[in-house]
Amino acid sequence: MNFSGLDWMVLVTTLVCIILYGIYKGRSSRNLEGYFLGNRQMPWWVVLLSIMGTQASAVTFLTAPGQAYTDGMRFVQYYFGLPMAMVIVAIAFVPVFRRLKIFTAYEYLEQRFDIKTRLLTSFLFMLSRGLSTGISILAPSLVLHSMMGWDITITNLVMGGVLMIYTASGGAKAVGYTQQLQFIIIYVAMFVAAWWAVKMLPEGVSFTDALHIGGKSGKLNVITTGMTENGFDWKDRFNIWSGIIGGLFLALSYFGTDQSQVGRYLTARTEGESKLGLLMNGLVKVPLQFFILLIGVLVFSFYQFYKAPAFFNLALEKRVQQTEYAPEYNNAVAKYEVLQEEKKQSTIALTKALHNDDEQAIDALRDKIQLQEKTAHDSRGQIQKIVEKAVPGADSNDTNYVFVRFVGDFFPDGLVGLIIAIIFLAAWGSVAAALNSLASCTMVDFHKRLSKKELTPEKEFRWSRYYTLLWGVFCIIVAQFAYSLGNSLIEAVNILGSWFYGAILGIFLVAFYLKHVKGHAVFYAALLTEVIVISIYKMDMFSWLWLNVVGAVSVVVLSLLIQAMLPLFAKKAQN
Amino acid sequence: MQIQQDNQADEKVPVFSKWKYWYWLVIGFLGLLILLFYFFTKRFS
Repeated sequence: MNFSGLDWMVLVTTLVCIILYGIYKGRSSRNLEGYFLGNRQMPWWVVLLSIMGTQASAVTFLTAPGQAYTDGMRFVQYYFGLPMAMVIVAIAFVPVFRRLKIFTAYEYLEQRFDIKTRLLTSFLFMLSRGLSTGISILAPSLVLHSMMGWDITITNLVMGGVLMIYTASGGAKAVGYTQQLQFIIIYVAMFVAAWWAVKMLPEGVSFTDALHIGGKSGKLNVITTGMTENGFDWKDRFNIWSGIIGGLFLALSYFGTDQSQVGRYLTARTEGESKLGLLMNGLVKVPLQFFILLIGVLVFSFYQFYKAPAFFNLALEKRVQQTEYAPEYNNAVAKYEVLQEEKKQSTIALTKALHNDDEQAIDALRDKIQLQEKTAHDSRGQIQKIVEKAVPGADSNDTNYVFVRFVGDFFPDGLVGLIIAIIFLAAWGSVAAALNSLASCTMVDFHKRLSKKELTPEKEFRWSRYYTLLWGVFCIIVAQFAYSLGNSLIEAVNILGSWFYGAILGIFLVAFYLKHVKGHAVFYAALLTEVIVISIYKMDMFSWLWLNVVGAVSVVVLSLLIQAMLPLFAKKAQN
Repeated sequence: MQIQQDNQADEKVPVFSKWKYWYWLVIGFLGLLILLFYFFTKRFS
């Protein structure tokens, strides 16, 4: 991919500006409250942008357009549970966390239950967040490594290390204010990208035509029910029910119990501003995600008129060409190109029919295009299988590469640099919040809580900085290690989150709503739940979004059972 | 373990008179979006 001098200038200028802005805005008082919570002085709009910047990692902007290109827009349903979760967090979680003036969500668990429950929950959070942050550094680095040919170690260091300049020095305040600026740059760039994608459509093909082309090809499937001839498909990842129910539990766990998010809304000036930041997120998140996915559909419509790559990962394609499978691969690509040409003719005919309002022709062409799209989709599947055979262990899923390849091939100089810059900015936003939250848990839940020595505010501040740096180094090491191990570790880490999230939410639900349940009951219920969740995962019974529901419900039910049985055990022990 | 209590005075709810109207706005807006998405799916497919 060509990366011009102008692209380099845009990229470097954007990144340097963010670092300088982070350093400038990050000056805070040298104590724990200043470092981890920005002295609780953030206005609601900074909280809102910080919440959004934490949730949207680089992968969000890489995966979502690619997901729409390959699977359509139904991915947006994954976010349907989020607004409801925002309301529940505003009602149940925020008042408790704010009134107790805690630093970490897990502090509350010690007051409500006992220290072992606090430490277990905080440890589970740090384990999953630490590993997943490493992967969220590696995932965009891998894309840039493959598409630009950049060195993976240097890319990992820039993706996960440079942000430490302002994160370690300025803490939560620097994280919040830089996320605000990052968010604005990211969405302005994405709007420019969408405008450019529309501008590049062939003459006579309008934005509405592009939507019709995407729609007739099955890509505007925003609402799906998951129903098949054999009833509800529990393994279907994205439908309205898994989105509303599974997505609600996932978002509740994430926003209510994950310190990387709790730490964001605890920085607000007042309880009301914490709530407002969350509720505004509930209003804007789904439309913004819809917009990002729509860019993927525009890319798809564009490629109906131009030659789309059969496989989007350039570096992996080159590796396949060096193996004995190259002829088989090239044959499959040639077949795909023939299918594409046929589809192109149908799309041109459809555009004409749309302009002539010829309903009969539109209906006939829609059926034809959907059949052709299915055949082309299967053909791409065959190509991916050849890639897997040719390069064992390589990730043949090229969804993350679709948007970057499109940008690199068709965007003008300067705009390519801006799009690559937003990948870094999005990564920095989520990684910075993660490092800040990991350091706060290490400092507040472990170091300060377990240390016998009383620390001065200055020493607490200094330790907090060291922990931020240490977690940064840890995450980069995970990224490097995951790269050397290949796809297996990335998958393992992604799975790990879905094992713990539901259980952590369950612990908090018991804490809030089942006042008679005590520490022992909830602690053992959480441990048993982990066994259940992992067993269900191994049996491959349903899509991972449902694991959050199972985990939360299991902790609640088992806590009640164990609490009811504890007196019986105590009696038996006495006898 | 001692956790400090925040005795912040009741603050004014922005725009509306009660928070519950904010909650209904968020849920109502989600409902509206789902409805719009449904018609969007139908319109273009």
